[in-house]
Amino acid sequence: MPFSTYLDGCRQDCRALVSELGKSFDYVSILGTDVRSAVYRADRKTSMACEGEGECGFVVKMHKGRSFYEYSCDDIRGDKKALAEKIINAVKISGELTDRQIKAEKVEDEPMKKDFVRETDFDDFTDEYLLGVCKKISEELCAKDEKVLNGFGMIMPYRVSKLFITKNRELSQHYGWANGYAMALYNDGKMVQARHVEGSDRLSEIIEKTKASLDGVIDLAKHLVTAQPIKPGVYDIITDPSITGLIAHEAFGHGVEMDQFVKDRALAKNCVGQYVASPITNMHDGAAATLSVASYFFDDDGVLAHDTQIIKDGILVAGLSDLASATQLGTEPTGNGRRDNYRRKAYSRMTNTFFCPGKDKLEDMIASVKHGYMIFETNNGMEDPKNWQIQCTAEYGIEIVDGKLTDNYVSPVVMSGYVPDLLKSISMISDSFKIEGSGFCGKGYKEWVRVSDGGPHLKARCKLG
Amino acid sequence: MSKVIEILNKTNGLYGYRVIENSVSSYELFFVHKNLETVRSTDSKATYVTVYTEHDGRIGDSAFQVYQSMSDDDIKEKTEQAIARANLVSNEPYELTDKGTLDAALPTNLDKYAPEELGRLIADAVYAADTEPGGSINALEIFIYKDIKHVVNNRGVDKTETKYRVMIEAIPTFTDGKQSVELYEDYRFTIFEPEKLTAEIADKMKEVSERSKAQKPGKELNINVLLRPHEIRSLAAELAHDQNYSSIYMHANLHKQGDNLQEGDCDKLNVTMKAIVAGSERSAYFDDDGAQLYDTEVIKDGIVCGSFGSNRFGQYLKVQRPSGDLKCISVGAGTLTDEDIKAEPYLECVSMSGLQLDLYNDYIGGEIRLAYYFDGEKTTPITGITMSAKLSDVLSTLRLSKETDVSGAYEGPVKALLKNVSVL
Repeated sequence: MPFSTYLDGCRQDCRALVSELGKSFDYVSILGTDVRSAVYRADRKTSMACEGEGECGFVVKMHKGRSFYEYSCDDIRGDKKALAEKIINAVKISGELTDRQIKAEKVEDEPMKKDFVRETDFDDFTDEYLLGVCKKISEELCAKDEKVLNGFGMIMPYRVSKLFITKNRELSQHYGWANGYAMALYNDGKMVQARHVEGSDRLSEIIEKTKASLDGVIDLAKHLVTAQPIKPGVYDIITDPSITGLIAHEAFGHGVEMDQFVKDRALAKNCVGQYVASPITNMHDGAAATLSVASYFFDDDGVLAHDTQIIKDGILVAGLSDLASATQLGTEPTGNGRRDNYRRKAYSRMTNTFFCPGKDKLEDMIASVKHGYMIFETNNGMEDPKNWQIQCTAEYGIEIVDGKLTDNYVSPVVMSGYVPDLLKSISMISDSFKIEGSGFCGKGYKEWVRVSDGGPHLKARCKLG
Repeated sequence: MSKVIEILNKTNGLYGYRVIENSVSSYELFFVHKNLETVRSTDSKATYVTVYTEHDGRIGDSAFQVYQSMSDDDIKEKTEQAIARANLVSNEPYELTDKGTLDAALPTNLDKYAPEELGRLIADAVYAADTEPGGSINALEIFIYKDIKHVVNNRGVDKTETKYRVMIEAIPTFTDGKQSVELYEDYRFTIFEPEKLTAEIADKMKEVSERSKAQKPGKELNINVLLRPHEIRSLAAELAHDQNYSSIYMHANLHKQGDNLQEGDCDKLNVTMKAIVAGSERSAYFDDDGAQLYDTEVIKDGIVCGSFGSNRFGQYLKVQRPSGDLKCISVGAGTLTDEDIKAEPYLECVSMSGLQLDLYNDYIGGEIRLAYYFDGEKTTPITGITMSAKLSDVLSTLRLSKETDVSGAYEGPVKALLKNVSVL
C-alpha cells in the first residue's frame, strides 16, 4: 500500500489554507495524518479480524510571536477563506487572557521538499493467512499443556502516512510497524499469564519469531506459578533489555522532555553538564537512533528525525524537544514533537530510548552478584521528573545466589527509588543490545504514543518491593 | 451517518450492523506557569462500523472506521472488506441489542458558557488557589469537551447521548530555596463549581508544601496504611473487573461467584458497578452496543455475587439481562471513624505513583510520593517509600470509613485502612 492517496490529493488544499491563514499569522503549518491498523486475534473460544484504531485528519498550527494556536479537523477541502475564518474564530480567547499570552521567538521555516518511504511486507499476507497464524498459535499453546486455560495469538500491523506543509516546507512520510503476541493463561494451583511479544516492520519476521516462542511461553508459565512475593529490600539487580529500557524511559527519559524544562517541571534542567549516572553509562533517544516502533522520518512538527545522545559517559548532555518548547527555550528542536493523534497537542516525547552497550559479559555480571535478582519484562512504570522518584514494575524476577541464577521466581517486582541513586549505581553493562518495539507511553495519564526502549543488561542496585 | 446506514441497508450478506458515531468538539487552554502557551480547538467526528455475518451456525464480525474523507465507493469497498473478514471470524452466536430509542443529555451546567469564557473562568478558579507562599502552579491544562455519541443498529437501536465534560491537569509546585517539589493532579467534572475547584486545588497546594518538608523515614515500618478515594477505586475496580463477563468467558477470572474475599473480622466490601455517578464524566445512559445499562452488585458483604459486562459476553454466560458495559463504581460505607484511625500509628497515602495490584500474585503495593505518618502522637510528612502486602491479608482486615464522597467515577468511603503493611 503506497502513501495515502487521500493526503496526496490534499496537498494543494493544504498549501491554499497555509496561504490564507498566512494573512493573519507569521507561521502556519498543517499536518495531515492517515493511519490505518488491523487486529488479528484468536483464542480458544473467539476470533477477530478487523481494523484497529486509526486516524485521518488535519491539525493546523499557527503562531505570531505570542501563544501557539492549533485547530484539529477531519477535512480541509472546500472554501479556504471560510475555513480560515472558522479556525480563527474557534481559537479566539477571552479578552482577559490576552495579556497573559507567552512571548515566543519567530518559528523557523527552513525550506525543504521531500517524500520518505520505508516499505513493509504487509501486503504479502492476506487476512485469512494472518488470522490463521493467530488461530494456530492459540491452538498450539492450548495443546502444549492441559493446564493452559486459554491461549492467545495476536498480530497487529499498522501503517502511517503523514503530510506536513508550511509556506516553505513540504514533507511526506510512509512507513509501517507490526507487533505479534503469544500469551498463555495457565493454572496449576495458581493462575498466571505468560507472554511473548515481537515487533518489526516485517510481518514475516514477526510470524516466524512468535511461532518459535511458544515453548518458551509455556516454560515461563510453569515457573511463574511457583513465583513468590519478593521480600522488600535493597538488592543488586541484573536487568534484561526490557527492564533496562524501562529504566531509561521512566527513570530518565521523561525528565529530559524539554517541555517540562519550560514549565520548571524537570530536575534535569539544572543538571545539564553534570554527572547523573555512572561514568560507564551512555543513553540515546531518537526516531533516527535505531529502527523500531518510533522510527519516523519527521516528527509532528515537521522536524526531521534525530539521534540525540542524552547521557554521555555519565554526564547529562542534551534533552528532547518539540517545536513549541524549543522556541521558548531558544534551542533547536530535536524531532521529538509527537501527538497521540491529530486531535491532540504535540508535546516533547520520547521515541526509541536506550542505554548503549558496554563491555561486560552477561555471565560475568550474574557471577558478580552474591545475592540479588535478575529482573524481566516490563509491566508498567511511572515517571516523576520533578522529584526524580521512580516506580517501575517488572513481571518477574529470578533470584541470584552466589553468582548463579536459581529456580526461585518472584512476581511481581516493583522497583522504586531516587533516579540518580539508581543510575549512579550502574556498575556493569553487557555487550549485548536489544530494543523492545511494542510499548505505549503516556504523558502523565494521557497522550499515548508508540515508543520503544531497551539496551543491554545492566547491573545496578535498587529497592525492590 | 445516514450515508453509511443507507449503504449498509443495501448491502447483501449481512446478519446485522452497528454504527457508532462520536462527535467531539473541544476548546483547550495550556498554561505554563500563569502564561497562556497554547490555545487549541478541535472539531471531529469518528464513525465506527461493525458488520456481522452468519455462517456455519456461527457469528462473525468485523469493524472499520469511516472517515470524512471517504466517498460512497470507499465506504462500499470498506464494507465488502469487513464482510470478507467477518466471514473468517467464527464466534459463538449471539443476538444484537434489540430496539430502543433515546436522545438524552447528561446533567451539566457547562453548556451555559461560551467555551472561551468557561476556559478563562476555570483558569481563574485554579489560580485563585495559588496563594501559598512558596507555592505555584507550574502548569495547567484545561480541556472542555462536548461529546455526542450516536449508536444505531439494524435491530432498531437509535440512541443519542450528549455529554459536556471538563478535564484539568494541574501541577501544584512548592519551592523552598533550591529545592522544589510537585504533585500531579487531574480533575474531571461535568458540573462547574468554581469555589469547589479552588478549594480542591488549595488542598493540593497545602499538600505539596508538605512534600517539600517530607523526609524519608529512618527505618522500615510495618504499619496500618490509609488509602484515599483514588486508590480505593483502583482496588475495588480490580476486584470488580475480575468479574467482567468477558474475563469469565475467557477463563481469566481468578474468583468465582460465592468466593469469600474477606475471611477475617473486617468491614465487608460491597461493590456495585453503576451507569451513573453524579458529576462523573464516565456516566452514561447506554454502552457501545446501545444497550440499556443496569447497575449490578458484584461483591456483597465480601462475597463475589455478580458479574457485569457487554451484551455479547452476557449472552454467552446465559445472563438473563446483561448489565451493559458499566464504567462507574460504588463502594459501600464501612464503620471506620477518625477516632478508630488515630487509635494506632498509621501512614496516610496522599500521593502514589499508582497503586499496583496483581490478583493472580495476591499483591498490593506501590511507590508513595507523599504520606502523612502518625506515630501515635504527632503527624509528619514522609516520602521516598514503597509499600507492599499480600492482597488477601489486607482484604481480610480491611476497614472502610463511615464517611463517603464522590470522586470522579467513584462513590464510596473516603478512607480505607489496610493493616500491617510493609513500608520500606
